[in-house]
Amino acid sequence: MGDTKNTFDAIVIGSGMSGGWAAKELCEKGLKTLVLERGRDVKHIKDYPTTTMFPWEFKHRGQVPYAIAKDNPIITKCYAFKEDAMHFFVKDKEHPYVQEKPFDWIRGYQVGGKSIMWARQTQRWSDFDFEGPARDGFAVDWPIRYKDIAPWYSYVEKFAGISGNKDGLDTLPDGEFLPAWDLTCIETYFKEAVAKNFKDRHVIYGRCAHLSKPATVHIEQGRGQCQARNLCQRGCPFGGYFNANSTTIPWAQKTGNLTLRTHAIVHSIIYDEAKGKATGVRIIDANTKQSTDYFADIIFVNAGAVNTNLILLNSTSKRFPNGLGNDNGLLGKYFAFHNYRARISASFDGLQDSITEGGRPTNAYIPRFRNVYKQETDFLRGYAVTFSGYHTSSTDTSGFGENLKNNLMADAKLGNWRVGSQCMGETIPKVTNYVSLDKTKKDEWGIPQLNFSVEYDDNDEKMIKDFIEQVTDMFVKAGFTDIKATDSKQAPGLDIHEMGGVRMGKDPKTSLLNEWNQLHECKNVFVTDGACMTSTSTQNPSLTYMAFTARAANHAVELLKKKEI
Amino acid sequence: MNRRYAIRTAFIFSAGVTLLPSCLQKDTTIAVPLNNIVVNSDQQKMLAQLAATIIPTTKFIGAAEVKAHEFTLMMVDDCYSPEKQKLFTEGLQQFAKLVSTKYGKAFADCSNEQKTAWLTAIENKKDIPDEVVQFYQTTKQHTLQAFTSSKQYMVDVRKYNMVPGPGFKGCVPLKNKVA
Repeated sequence: MGDTKNTFDAIVIGSGMSGGWAAKELCEKGLKTLVLERGRDVKHIKDYPTTTMFPWEFKHRGQVPYAIAKDNPIITKCYAFKEDAMHFFVKDKEHPYVQEKPFDWIRGYQVGGKSIMWARQTQRWSDFDFEGPARDGFAVDWPIRYKDIAPWYSYVEKFAGISGNKDGLDTLPDGEFLPAWDLTCIETYFKEAVAKNFKDRHVIYGRCAHLSKPATVHIEQGRGQCQARNLCQRGCPFGGYFNANSTTIPWAQKTGNLTLRTHAIVHSIIYDEAKGKATGVRIIDANTKQSTDYFADIIFVNAGAVNTNLILLNSTSKRFPNGLGNDNGLLGKYFAFHNYRARISASFDGLQDSITEGGRPTNAYIPRFRNVYKQETDFLRGYAVTFSGYHTSSTDTSGFGENLKNNLMADAKLGNWRVGSQCMGETIPKVTNYVSLDKTKKDEWGIPQLNFSVEYDDNDEKMIKDFIEQVTDMFVKAGFTDIKATDSKQAPGLDIHEMGGVRMGKDPKTSLLNEWNQLHECKNVFVTDGACMTSTSTQNPSLTYMAFTARAANHAVELLKKKEI
Repeated sequence: MNRRYAIRTAFIFSAGVTLLPSCLQKDTTIAVPLNNIVVNSDQQKMLAQLAATIIPTTKFIGAAEVKAHEFTLMMVDDCYSPEKQKLFTEGLQQFAKLVSTKYGKAFADCSNEQKTAWLTAIENKKDIPDEVVQFYQTTKQHTLQAFTSSKQYMVDVRKYNMVPGPGFKGCVPLKNKVA
């Protein structure tokens, strides 16, 4: 093995949503842990340069200047790439990739990764999700069921801090919740209208990773109550929402067992044929381009779904010429995402004498109601529906001069309510949707560029049509008017829910990872980010990555103790 | 250096500046630095007058105090495509030319009545070339933006609060609203 200063008990690749959890769990269990992060350090609060800036302090009032937008056509599509948070996103030219088919790859290369800018929705999966592939005959059967992960959902929810209501729904199991904020007038109205017309459809409060009422553990983390600023993408000075920077990484640091190596771009995982396991990780320094090897007994790959695929594909050896653990040739395949293309908006002229007061960091959510108990449509699976609404207020900006000025100074006039819904559809992982290494193109660190060949299919198109029909129907029954549906036709990737490529399964012939997220063929390598997902469900996936990571890390420590890896 | 002397000198110097005749001050006006579009200081002055006509200063600040014309130029310079920038500067030139033809003087030198009549004609799109209407609308849009996103407007008029705090109320009757 290499020299001792480069040798650790565990290496975690990535410091974001799931890597932070791996670091926390392993460090707490006493393992000397090296976290490799390809970007710069972002310290909680200190490195949130815009977090306390007022709207008038932004030179372009939030808008992305033309030159930046022109140079970055992909990242500019992301809803959060605005003047206040654009420093947390990877610019198009910083890490190029190949699009055999269009794919918007949205990335955040820094300590904390995309957990700084995420949308913070945290819904559990249920057995309707874990049993989906087996029941409907796609992908492969998940090697676990809800009961296997339920305690770990509870474990991560308590630590991260999740605000929610216990709704008692089969489709969306309840969790360990901090109090929920109120539903708004329009949400309550819509909830009742939907309940009256559809027995199996439930409008609920969207559970979110916010400290509505911090518990002892959150105070211990140094985090405070969410102040409903809704400026989360900048990083929160109160620590009001969960990100790795405020929560898991500092917690790991407190143990004294964490070594954080930034600017470390992982080239590959080193496999030792004689030992029959991985022994370390080769990195290239982002700035000096110098290569260094680090060694450890176990390796957690949490580079973000896409980069985890890239690292494993690039980890070739005599034993694994096609990528680490890739005996069956399925690495990079069955890559999937969420179908976010369809939206519906409408007006409501009721509830005129009601308003909301103050702020709240979440919206309403309708768990999947299609094909839940049995197959009932001509497409597989279904979609979750977000729902939000606000009482519009307007100021007359016609004309000029003193008339205009008087109108600007007067109280805004309340108008109709505006409501909107978005589709979050389950896509079916397929062998034809894959990521692969480009044969010739390399990045500036000499690592092959990743190629995307991922697209929508007929099932997605039918689902969009059904979403529009069903939500329109719900809106009509609720008395909403001016209903407009749009299909953004956006490329896969812009949902920022990329999943799969290193899927879990029972059989090494048809999957890469076992029920503990270990590579079947290289058991001391664990993959617990989006890459491990066998199917995609209709829930925002981060909470499930956190639960998988905590579960796998604790199992890894058990195995180490028993000297089984 | 003797501190008291320094302060006294600074005072005299600043007093000297304020005592300069206004015509001299006018000539030394520094134009807004621009990287992409060319708008000379006369045109910038016209833009300032236009913005001040759109949102005049009353008891409360107006476009002049928030430097709405500088904001407009900066936004066009930084955030517009070359095509849209061209449309803006051409519209601006056309606007100046039409005013000069119609009133025999620059927009800045027009009386308030003339300014009002001219902007009314543009608002009504009455025999006004499209590019002039577009230039006016762009200027108005950014003048409104500069004014309504200013600290004074957001805090004093709209009671902006960056930190609403935990007291969210999902649904309250309008009549109970605390102003």
